[in-house]
Amino acid sequence: MKPVQLFVTCMVDAFRPEAGIAAARVLERRGAALDFPADQTCCGQFSFNAGYHHEAARLARHFVHVFEGTEGSIVALSGSCAAMVIHEYPSLIAEDVISTGGTTGEAADWKERAVRIGDRVVELSQWITQFTENSPEVPNPVVSAVLHQGCHMRRLLKANVEPEAVLRQAGINPITMDDADQCCGFGGTYSMTEWKVSTALADAKWYSVKKTIHEHNIACLTSADLGCLLHLEGRQSRLGETFPVMYLAELIDRADQGMLMEKGETDGWDTSR
Amino acid sequence: MAGTLPADPTPWHERRDAGLSDSTMRRTIGTVTKRFSTGQRQVFNGYPEGATAREAAVKAKRQAIRDLDTLLPRLRDSVETNGGQTYLARDATEAVAVVVKIAQSRKVQRIIKTKSMLTEELQLNQALQEAGLSVVETDLGEYIIQQAHETPSHILAPAAHKNRDQIETLFRDDAREKGITPPNSNNAESLTRYARQRLREDFLHADMGITGGNFAVAETGTVVLITNEGNADMVTTLPSILVSVVGIEKIMDTWETLGTIIQQPAMNGIGQRLSSYTTFVSGPRREGVVEGPVEWHLVLVDNGRNLLRGTEFEDVLSCIRCGACLNVCPVFRQVGGHAYGSVYPGPIGIVETPLLTDWRILPELPTVGCTVCHACGEACPMEIDLPHHIIQLRQEKVRRHLVASGVARSYRWWAKMWATASGYQRSLRWARWGQRLYLKQGTLHDAPGIAHGWFVSRNMPPVASETFHEWWLKHRQGGT
Repeated sequence: MKPVQLFVTCMVDAFRPEAGIAAARVLERRGAALDFPADQTCCGQFSFNAGYHHEAARLARHFVHVFEGTEGSIVALSGSCAAMVIHEYPSLIAEDVISTGGTTGEAADWKERAVRIGDRVVELSQWITQFTENSPEVPNPVVSAVLHQGCHMRRLLKANVEPEAVLRQAGINPITMDDADQCCGFGGTYSMTEWKVSTALADAKWYSVKKTIHEHNIACLTSADLGCLLHLEGRQSRLGETFPVMYLAELIDRADQGMLMEKGETDGWDTSR
Repeated sequence: MAGTLPADPTPWHERRDAGLSDSTMRRTIGTVTKRFSTGQRQVFNGYPEGATAREAAVKAKRQAIRDLDTLLPRLRDSVETNGGQTYLARDATEAVAVVVKIAQSRKVQRIIKTKSMLTEELQLNQALQEAGLSVVETDLGEYIIQQAHETPSHILAPAAHKNRDQIETLFRDDAREKGITPPNSNNAESLTRYARQRLREDFLHADMGITGGNFAVAETGTVVLITNEGNADMVTTLPSILVSVVGIEKIMDTWETLGTIIQQPAMNGIGQRLSSYTTFVSGPRREGVVEGPVEWHLVLVDNGRNLLRGTEFEDVLSCIRCGACLNVCPVFRQVGGHAYGSVYPGPIGIVETPLLTDWRILPELPTVGCTVCHACGEACPMEIDLPHHIIQLRQEKVRRHLVASGVARSYRWWAKMWATASGYQRSLRWARWGQRLYLKQGTLHDAPGIAHGWFVSRNMPPVASETFHEWWLKHRQGGT
């Protein structure tokens, strides 16, 4: 058993707890001795990206504090939040310590603590590929899914094979869409403050997704980042459309339980769970 | 001292909406940027020398910026030894005054130009025209937008927003006005032939040429111009007076370091190993030579660049104007270059515009123009940390109180609540209670505060009746 601390992210916690529950099951089936530090809140990326660094640093310090007393990998249910902790925390916290009157010694100490936490953070699909016995790919996948690779997974974590690999192991055929490297337009609070551009990007992403659906037999849209998915799902919901959108672990959890079946039998899986 | 850059006075929301509603522009920009960025990726494949040169170029350029205080006088010495005149302009006003004075004192009437983003930044054409001089842009893209009375929408491909039909219409109007034969179709060949025929006259009659400069080599006093059309060869050899207007950040120390960087604009800008033409200017016509300008004036321009030296933004001065960051930027692809309202659009423009002008113009850019997708950081061949610079500039806006106070309060409150477990839990319970007002068929359709923007065009699931936290506590007996 491998000790794992689950970092669900605020978006999974509040808006799609099923995604977190699915991830917990997926992890435990793969040998994780799971724990959930219940004092966790949010990584602070919303504030950081918007330029509110002192505010982001408060959340960052809280995060470090919460996970410091725990053991093993910290598995994030978002590539973007994982990248925030790994790449931004050390300098963010250290700079905030200085700008709020702390000493350079205190800043260095906090930096070290943040680096130690960052070293333990991995995104879910990374953990599955790194820390479990590689199970063979299922030779005849029954379902295909369009895989949206979030920008921070792609460019900051550079986790560009892991989501595909874990989907294949689960018998799901990942399909890449046109212009896959383009942002879905979410961008944290950018989606609120600059909603027009953000929405234009969501529409461009749906255009690519639909083109892919048209060309392949696709069951759903999936991603290792729920933020992107809620953005895209929220857009199609407003437009009155209902194409299935599933967080990566939700899809794998269904595959683990043998709930996926040929398209045509149902819409790709049994949703009667 | 801070520089002066032109700014579109139209407010951002109007500029953005104009971009978003121009479907022809969006299609055209989409195609062009995708072609360029694909080209950039492909040209490095199977060409390790190109990648090695790029790494060396980054080092050399960073060093040149650090050594600027010694390279600048060295360049001026070399140019003057070669018989050229040099000037150092601290800002746009000084730079423009120097060029206008050179033209006027020599009774110049007709000027031809190569493409130069710096002269756009200085609004040089406007000043020369106000002084009664005729100025013709000879780069095809620049020629097109000059005909259309527009500004460049892309730093490398100024007419990237226009399609062939629009260009044909422009040229037909021009032909009608001039009483000459119009282009016979909208294909690239006949459009180019038309422009070439029109420009030939201007090349032959001009008495002054103006160029920019991609690089300037201190060692030999050489200005280097990269084009794909050969027009720089004509501009630098035909008129008797030549003026080169070059940013102080363009100086490289030696030919050796020039060698590392010379391919990079073409490789990263259009996916070609080298530009079709590379023009070197090392002085006016020498004794016994029959061609070339009689006078060569090199105007070196600061216009805010020195402000960046020694700051965390110093790497911005390494920009080689390849446009790679624009090509991959999702926001640029949607709104196009004009929406930025600055001479420099896209990620580099978001960063440079406020920095060069010390926030005097377009302070909205860092906020409105970036989803923080990091594509620009990945694409920039000079390894300029554009995504972090944009985030830093957003922080700077918060520090300078350039943000709405209500929004700032929301972020402070948010951080205060979510910095403790109990505050976080409480805020979710409040949200669950408050969201009843905005629920329709189990989906959130609106919310107050900054979240409202989301709901103008998108729905959201409500805060769950049982959050993951609550589920864990209930089903796993308290977790930790």
